[in-house]
Amino acid sequence: MSERDSYTLLLTFARQGEEPSICKAMEFLRRESPAVRFVALGSPVSAAMLRGVGIEHVNIFGEGSSVRSVLRQIKDLRPSSTAIIYCGPGARGHLKLEALALAVGSRRICRFISGEPTRSVSRSSLLLSVAAKSLLALGCLAVSAVVCALAFCSLLLAQVLSGGRGARWA
Amino acid sequence: MEATLIIINYNGRELLEMSAPATLDAARRAGNHPVVVADDGSTDDSLQYLCKVHPGIEVLALPHRGFGAACNAAVAAAETETVVLLNSDILVDPGFLPPLLQDLDQNDVFAVGCKFVNPGGSLRDAIGNRTSCHWRRGLLHIRHETDPARLAETCPQFYANGAALACSRQKWLALGGFDPMYHPLYWEDVDLGYRAWGRGWRVLYEPASVVAHEQGSTMKRVHTVEHIELMSAKNGILFTWKNLLDPGLLRRVIAAQMRWAADDVLIGGLPPRTRALLLALRQLPESIRGRVREQRERTRSDQEILAACGART
Repeated sequence: MSERDSYTLLLTFARQGEEPSICKAMEFLRRESPAVRFVALGSPVSAAMLRGVGIEHVNIFGEGSSVRSVLRQIKDLRPSSTAIIYCGPGARGHLKLEALALAVGSRRICRFISGEPTRSVSRSSLLLSVAAKSLLALGCLAVSAVVCALAFCSLLLAQVLSGGRGARWA
Repeated sequence: MEATLIIINYNGRELLEMSAPATLDAARRAGNHPVVVADDGSTDDSLQYLCKVHPGIEVLALPHRGFGAACNAAVAAAETETVVLLNSDILVDPGFLPPLLQDLDQNDVFAVGCKFVNPGGSLRDAIGNRTSCHWRRGLLHIRHETDPARLAETCPQFYANGAALACSRQKWLALGGFDPMYHPLYWEDVDLGYRAWGRGWRVLYEPASVVAHEQGSTMKRVHTVEHIELMSAKNGILFTWKNLLDPGLLRRVIAAQMRWAADDVLIGGLPPRTRALLLALRQLPESIRGRVREQRERTRSDQEILAACGART
């Protein structure tokens, strides 16, 4: 593949106000490789913003296309690099984006974190990050499940003990 | 109909300088209604300012117990059937009062909310206008109308924003006012509106009563944005635990709250929802007590309330 055809996949949640971070990342990548072409993955809502900042190819999921089929289209483009753009300080969260970066399988993955220098990240360290965050997500889910189950049972029990349903149900 | 206009103040001397003259003027134009400042234990010179510059304003000096408690104490102390609650950062239009009082003439109306505009007069992202609710991914979300075309008529709304509302004092007292469970901020007005609908009363939106409000300006002086988000998330959870009496609806919402907490890690950068759930758990006994009370008092089911507010279940 010639340099002219090389794609960079931008992974971002494309929230309102994130345009400057995305543009900054694009500028950086253009400086590195002037012929770079950008592709991104977006929802119907974020697509307009992504196109607005100058991304030529925005593959949209949620309009009849599943994330899996959109991911396949992106893989077919064989992006030579993937850039993860983190919103907010630090690299907390963003498990979805990191897992996607691994799934696409570009040769190079780099992180754009606000206030930190851009750096490439190896697949193994990204894999570690995904594993750690998955464990954390499972932990959160487990804690939430316990809290929610406890709340649900107590609320219903109190309702029953205090005299049944009380209110008229439709 | 006589009304008491109550300005809730906490360390808001500069805000009072802006809002008190306009409130006094509006009260005078509408028939010399009394204006009271309920001071939530300010440590600045708010009280000295009021004594010196606005001796016509009655001051109710309270110990610092938060916004909800200050509102409850002020409404209890009022001597009129109608009360108008105003945040200290609310700049009222000269003619804002008569339309509110006219709507409250109807027996089944509990509260009437104003039309909120930004300090420049725009409606962009204005909070509290023609509120409604809808379901998204199993969670109850509140919508604030910003389309001018849909803000032209008096109509029912989900709740009246506590920053500027008029209500029947008698109905307020029957409802028990703002629930202290939501201290220090947010959702107490949503809860009050929902409970009023549950009693068979109505909450209205009144476009002819215009007030300017910079959303959150009083809260942001006292709390950090992160704390506001955390408390708002916690109180949103408590609201559903306390008020959704339909077991099926509650199950659906609680399942969504569980997934919602895990989303924190998947997405990142959002309010720490797992912490909000844990904080809500600490107040589970309070929400149970409120729930039992609601069960006794309610005359409408959740479906009926939500249908009246235009939400599909």
